Amino acid sequence: MLTQLRSLYAYREMIVCMVRRDLRGRYKGSALGFLWTFVSPLMQLGVYTIVFTHILKNGIDRYYLFLFTALVPWLFFSASLTGGAACVLAQKELVKKIWFPRAVLPAAYVTGAFINMLLCFAIILPTAILSGVQLRPGGLLLLPAVMAAEFFLALGMALLASSVTVYFRDMEHILSIAAMLWMYLTPVVYDISMIPARYRILLRLNPMTSVIGCYRDILYSGSLPDPAALLCAATQGLTALVIGWYVFECLQKRFAEVL
Amino acid sequence: MEYAIELCHVSKSFPAGSVRTQLKDLFFLRNPSAGRHTVLHGIDLRVLPGEAVGLVGRNGCGKSTILQLVSRILCPDEGSITLHGRVSALLELGAGFHPDLTGRENLRTNAAVFGLTRAETDRRMETIIRFSELGHRIDDPVRTYSSGMYMRLAFSVAVHVDSDILLIDEILAVGDAAFQEKCFARLQEIRRSGTAILLVSHDTAQLRAVCDRCVWLQDGTIRAEGAPERICGDYAASQQLPS
Repeated sequence: MLTQLRSLYAYREMIVCMVRRDLRGRYKGSALGFLWTFVSPLMQLGVYTIVFTHILKNGIDRYYLFLFTALVPWLFFSASLTGGAACVLAQKELVKKIWFPRAVLPAAYVTGAFINMLLCFAIILPTAILSGVQLRPGGLLLLPAVMAAEFFLALGMALLASSVTVYFRDMEHILSIAAMLWMYLTPVVYDISMIPARYRILLRLNPMTSVIGCYRDILYSGSLPDPAALLCAATQGLTALVIGWYVFECLQKRFAEVL
Repeated sequence: MEYAIELCHVSKSFPAGSVRTQLKDLFFLRNPSAGRHTVLHGIDLRVLPGEAVGLVGRNGCGKSTILQLVSRILCPDEGSITLHGRVSALLELGAGFHPDLTGRENLRTNAAVFGLTRAETDRRMETIIRFSELGHRIDDPVRTYSSGMYMRLAFSVAVHVDSDILLIDEILAVGDAAFQEKCFARLQEIRRSGTAILLVSHDTAQLRAVCDRCVWLQDGTIRAEGAPERICGDYAASQQLPS
């Protein structure tokens, strides 16, 4: 594992280039360009807010912020899962023709999605302040820790999904459905307290529950993240990364043969 | 003397069936129903630093598979492959170019794909651009390039990586005669600096001009090896007499 990490580090410039190529190439030639990064999450935020505050009245205070703090991290995770699944397949020509540490591809994809999330946080923070949330400095200091835990989780899932998809193409479609179901199994549009206590333990098994809980504690409630949830998120994130890495390393040896 | 490339009894086979049947075999834990077809049997091949070795043979004899094995894209089933130093493979020019980005941006990405760090790329930037003869067009999007310009850019990056092992697959037909002349000169320069070159070509005149030694592959085994003149001559003669 150490040698593989070292070769990944040696190819760090490739990760940087792939991320830049992705972020700049994606919207090149379109009129709104980079602003498209924000359009999709803001549209979803608008639609969900209207549906869940005006049509289905849920009584959650400042629902737009309640949702925003969870939706942006969720969209990052979901992109890593569904888009990440196709990232090796999409670079088929490269994989078949040139050797490089294969983990560069999922790492670059997840990093790109992570940067998109960070840009959206540049909107969340002022929104929270304008909405009157008293942000705690301690909470903000722990925000990078929460983000790191989610990054590890997302990378682990992307490693797993991308390597399996190379052999089993249906996985890409299965995962896009799974991601939709997963969103409703995670307290994104609702709060975990709305779930009957005896089912809550099941929700706790979902690593995204703790992650989203931490974001909400910091940015919506203006408190410190629940230490148990933060620890849980970190453990689950690292576990996912180790499993994803291991599966990826086993499966990547024959990528060029099956692509 | 330490070899730059050393293949010992390397064999490689590919599963013959589709991915679907392979998955079914895996799922029902039964032996592969479609079997495997072997591409290389017990290949022994050694290349010294600064030596250029050419591979000849008919389509499907395993030439490209050897290059893919040496470039680590494929893993051998049996045998071992030992490499000393950085490998750069010109198996396809311009893999991973993004049409909407400029030549310079693609140059950076392409160099990074070969494993160069940012500082190493910066050091080579001007030399590569000068070699490619693209001039100010380097800052135009690659989609506006002619196919010749595209190939020139890709080739220029690949031959300036300063690797210890260079693999080339049928791609020396780059650009016009003058540019090709320059490519050959550059290859000789690379070889003199101690890089081992392994190349595949159907053009025996090209092999005679570049190689120190040639290896003739037939049905996944080495049929003959030796001086380019002799091997290329024998190979050409065998092709003109269909059996």
